[in-house]
Amino acid sequence: MDELEPEVIEDFHHTPFATPIIGVTGGKGGVGKTTVAVNLAAALAAHGLRVALVDCDVDAPNADILLGLTLADEVPVTVTRPVFSPDRCTDCGQCLSVCRLHSLFRPRAGNITLMGECNGCEACFLVCPADAIDREQRRIGAIWKGGADSLTLYTGRLDPGLEEGTLVVRRLRERVAAEADRFDIIVIDTAPGIHCNVIEALKGVSLAIAVTEPTPLGSHDLDLILSLLAMFRVRGTVFVNRADLPGKIDEIEELAARRGMGVEIGLPLDRQLLDSYVHGVPVVHLHPHSSAAMTFAGIAGRITGEFIP
Amino acid sequence: MKEIVILSGKGGVGKSSLTAALGTLLGRRHSLVLADTDVDAPNLHLVLGAERLESSPITASEKAFVDMDRCVGCGLCTDVCRFDAIIGDSRPVIARYSCEGCGACAIACPEEAITIRQVTNGRLDIMAAGDHRVVSGSLDIGASSSGRLVDVVKRRARELAGELGAGLILTDGPPGIGCPVIATLKGADHVVLVTEPTPSALSDLGRVVEVVQGFHLPLGVVLNRADIFADGRGQVLRYLDAHRIELLAEIPYDPELPRALARGELAVTARPDAPSSLAIRALGKRISDLIQRNGPGRAISLKTMT
Repeated sequence: MDELEPEVIEDFHHTPFATPIIGVTGGKGGVGKTTVAVNLAAALAAHGLRVALVDCDVDAPNADILLGLTLADEVPVTVTRPVFSPDRCTDCGQCLSVCRLHSLFRPRAGNITLMGECNGCEACFLVCPADAIDREQRRIGAIWKGGADSLTLYTGRLDPGLEEGTLVVRRLRERVAAEADRFDIIVIDTAPGIHCNVIEALKGVSLAIAVTEPTPLGSHDLDLILSLLAMFRVRGTVFVNRADLPGKIDEIEELAARRGMGVEIGLPLDRQLLDSYVHGVPVVHLHPHSSAAMTFAGIAGRITGEFIP
Repeated sequence: MKEIVILSGKGGVGKSSLTAALGTLLGRRHSLVLADTDVDAPNLHLVLGAERLESSPITASEKAFVDMDRCVGCGLCTDVCRFDAIIGDSRPVIARYSCEGCGACAIACPEEAITIRQVTNGRLDIMAAGDHRVVSGSLDIGASSSGRLVDVVKRRARELAGELGAGLILTDGPPGIGCPVIATLKGADHVVLVTEPTPSALSDLGRVVEVVQGFHLPLGVVLNRADIFADGRGQVLRYLDAHRIELLAEIPYDPELPRALARGELAVTARPDAPSSLAIRALGKRISDLIQRNGPGRAISLKTMT
């Protein structure tokens, strides 16, 4: 793809609030993004900050599990579904021709039916000359909130079988934006991959932590996410998880250096970290003196020093 | 022709490694084509050490384009866009990563300054791994419409299987449950879900099970790294029991696996008698049986694996 327009990059970095945002991403799945996000958030809260953690992996959200939190305060996310009124329809057929998903059918004259996917674009409403389409709301997922003032978790979930994950991420970010002034810092956990959900989740981040592991797969996918960060001019840093794996750390260092990014050699997979993972308690709380907890405390300290006035 | 799809909900539980191992084992006796529909982060070819034979751009996305000579800056396009994809104060700029190509802006524009055009959003690679072909898609950085890219990968894999007379397509799918997963499931005959004995993986498994069952597809579960956490294993087994889901295999954690991966080797071939390799070989046999038992349509002949 060509370079992005300056307006697009500017819009990507704009937030309607002053609270700094740290993104946790990584390209590959299962490299420890959520582990890093949850523990970083807990470590920042331990520094006395009011932290919002936002789980934007709406396909497979796990931050609530790793924090041992019950989600509450559900707000459904909906999208417009057109409902066609045969009484008012003049059978002009314009809605049929503008639906680019080809989801509208006309089994009989003056009778339009929605069959198949609808992304709620509302193009059919724009062309209908007879005002024959009504808006209904179709649920695609929901967003929740949980936790205490020092660490508040926001989570979005796409309903299984549906495809509008990006919209759930967008509504989740809007909810956090509306309450951003209550927090000193926001930590965002993204889905794996480089798709629109990830881009939407990373909007406005001051720093993106790209989590990876020293395997050929980890390096490959890290290169993709670093390319995405570079495209959007996002400042990034690389965090190597599972540093005990036998792969080449120097390969990762080279990828990061090519883009002027630093590399933090993070966590070996030890018993304490696995313990924390399966019991739903951040390692910074469960084993506060473990090397993993120290690593997160160190990162939290540096982030506080740089981003909190 | 049969299509087996490997999914997991959670990423990093071993989909690509398992697909590569199964492809190698099943491929010893049967003609098959491998496909990778994790277009965000395609990894199957890396595990297989596959070599690229051909690569071509895919044009499977539509975006709005504004003719600035015609635009009068009225802002109607921004108002009607339901995807917040039109930004800019004095002139509209399309944020391509958000644009769905729905055409609402083109309808609203009184100056007919906006057109919807097809754009390239990824690449299709055909690769060779030994005697087998791998069809792999990759999304361009900053592009969208990954579901449509998956459609193209699947179509090409079917064509190639037809050309080669292959009776089986084994697909390494994406993590999650969203559009690329749904596109991957379309037309599949059987689904293998990989999980591991942790609360997160089980939660994500439950979500992908709902999606697969929504498509009324037969499915079975592989519990990978089955021995890393006994309580978690119990939870997964109880979940499968309660939902009447077949457990296809339990694969023990193999600390040598990352070393094999780093050397570019497959454990099932480099160390065929390792406990994990034995479990995967037994799984290969069960999958052969499943294809014969559950597969709708034309049955293919799969000899018993050893």
